[in-house]
Amino acid sequence: MVGAAEEIQLNRLESQVEHGGGGAWEYLCLVRKLKVRRSEKVLKYGLAILKDPKKRSKLGGEEWTLYEQVSLAAMDCQRLDVAKECINTLQKKFPSSLRVGRLEGMFLEAKGSWADAEKAYSRLLEENPLDQAIHKRKIAMAKAQGNVSSAIELLNKYLETFMADHEAWRELAELYVSLQMYKQAAFCYEELILCQPTIPLYHLAYADVLYTLGGLENLQAAKKYYASTIDLTGGKNVRALYGVCLCSVAINQLSKGRNKEEKDSPDLHSLAAKALVKDYKQRAPTKVSLLTTTLQNMKLLS
Amino acid sequence: MAANEDSGSFSKTSSESGNDLPIFSAENLQCNLKVIYYSRTFLSIIGGVIAGILGLTGLMGFVVYFLIMALTSLGLAAKAKFSINSYFDYWNRIVFEGFLGGLMSFVLFWTFAYDIVHIF
Amino acid sequence: MADDLVLDTAIRDWVLIPLSVVMVLIGVLRYFVSKLMRTTQVPDAKVVREGQVVLRARNLRAAANFIPAKSFRSRRVYYGNEENGLLHVPKGQAQNAQAQMLSDPNMAMDMMKKNLSMIIPQTLTFAWVNFFFSGFVAAKIPFPLTQRFRSMLQNGIDLSTVDVSYVSSRSWYFLNLFGLRGLFSLILGEENAMDDTQRMMQMGGFGFDASKSLSAEKDSLDIVQHDWALPRLEQRAEAVLRKLVK
Repeated sequence: MVGAAEEIQLNRLESQVEHGGGGAWEYLCLVRKLKVRRSEKVLKYGLAILKDPKKRSKLGGEEWTLYEQVSLAAMDCQRLDVAKECINTLQKKFPSSLRVGRLEGMFLEAKGSWADAEKAYSRLLEENPLDQAIHKRKIAMAKAQGNVSSAIELLNKYLETFMADHEAWRELAELYVSLQMYKQAAFCYEELILCQPTIPLYHLAYADVLYTLGGLENLQAAKKYYASTIDLTGGKNVRALYGVCLCSVAINQLSKGRNKEEKDSPDLHSLAAKALVKDYKQRAPTKVSLLTTTLQNMKLLS
Repeated sequence: MAANEDSGSFSKTSSESGNDLPIFSAENLQCNLKVIYYSRTFLSIIGGVIAGILGLTGLMGFVVYFLIMALTSLGLAAKAKFSINSYFDYWNRIVFEGFLGGLMSFVLFWTFAYDIVHIF
Repeated sequence: MADDLVLDTAIRDWVLIPLSVVMVLIGVLRYFVSKLMRTTQVPDAKVVREGQVVLRARNLRAAANFIPAKSFRSRRVYYGNEENGLLHVPKGQAQNAQAQMLSDPNMAMDMMKKNLSMIIPQTLTFAWVNFFFSGFVAAKIPFPLTQRFRSMLQNGIDLSTVDVSYVSSRSWYFLNLFGLRGLFSLILGEENAMDDTQRMMQMGGFGFDASKSLSAEKDSLDIVQHDWALPRLEQRAEAVLRKLVK
């Protein structure tokens, strides 16, 4: 999760570095801290520091961290020669390090030699059966090879031990959604909500899954979760606004025959529709008419 | 004493990141509590030194401590824009958190400063 | 009562101030030493798993109101059932956990290291204080106390006529030991906040007993009342939107 303030700071630093204003190392540190993926920039500026012996020696012990960061970025950009060089340097410095071993495995992965990478990881796991990063690499590898079901299997096994790892739950949820296994995905999203109940993203995704599952009960729940997303984001999330509208339409259709015993918050959908219109007026005035007709068709806007 | 209080509250709350839900994000709450704890400790140390230098003895010193704590609470409440419930789960957090821990530091520094300045 | 005991300024310069400075320095030093000595021991898979189970159950308890009642109930059964629930601890296993922990040399070693980093400097400083400064009246606390505090504050002085508020150097050492914690947490950051006294308490329980925390978690999970928060959030959302539209 990258906060808004941090992102602004990051972008500021990035443009500063780009215009030759210095602060490359600070930028790289921030990238590492926030775990954002800006491999090209990292490669460019990191390499510049590494190639300059004076700058490099100024870093002291942090030099090796930079080597690691640059090699990862290089792999991401398919600059395998650079990555190899960095890893070799690290290898010389730390011959029996787990972290370097992991890098080597990732290098094999980047080369596309899956079997070798698999072997390397298995060897590392024998020594450290509880290394989370390596487990995750194996899962990612299965996913990269397009083998989603085995990725799911591995991920499930991983979660049996590390069941408080919310990133893994999120990955699993997304994998399930990609296979259209919505019930399982719903479970994962519930787990995520339990883990971090104030993150609107999970509420939204859970609502999406519930809406897709269908059925009156699920739809009502979905509407509630869309509503909670609205609450958590202060009504700025357009998807949640649409979600509320769609859910209430679907609920109306389903419960038409029955008596409406539970008519909770009758205003919510019309309010959501109004908020949508307002938002569109501000940001995309040309599309307001499109929106209003759609909403009128759904009988949400008079 | 007033000047000291000001300097204290300046360093006090730089990161009071709150959230406005009945549900609390545990991290933010923890962070806020830490801020309280730090400001309390900081002010009790400063207050202890000042009370010692002024040569307060007996009950007066404790009165000063309570005064400082009350001012801290007030300052924290002001920092939270008096909507304490949006930053903490109970309003009395602001009053009691770190009170006793601060007392220990206060007494120590009070004694220390008092001894150095006055009794020899 | 010798109310106005005259103390030599040399005592201040050579006892009171050095003692406090040394205490602070030792605290800082100890912090860094313990940082250096901290080892990353390879935990047992079972221990990791139990820790994670507890964490997850705690999350469930804390955020139970955010998931639908059905989901909550099924999870509760999943955690707490008597056959293979995650939090259920078989009876026989509970007792020998302690023995197992004692027999694990790694654990004991780690424990010892931790305690050593705490005990050695303390013993050394105490010995140092005892050797050089025993028998001094080093300080005077600026408030009156009753006779009962005599043994606490005038440790090392066997005079019953001195006013209780005078503090012997050894007791000044103890006062520093406890009172400086606040200062340490300010200058060294939060990690140091958990300090000696807490560690001593932990030592009493000898580490972290997984089965105990598992069953404690199970009990507290059993009494959680589920009250779905979402309908309330819906109303809040309505209020938010109303404000937005207006």
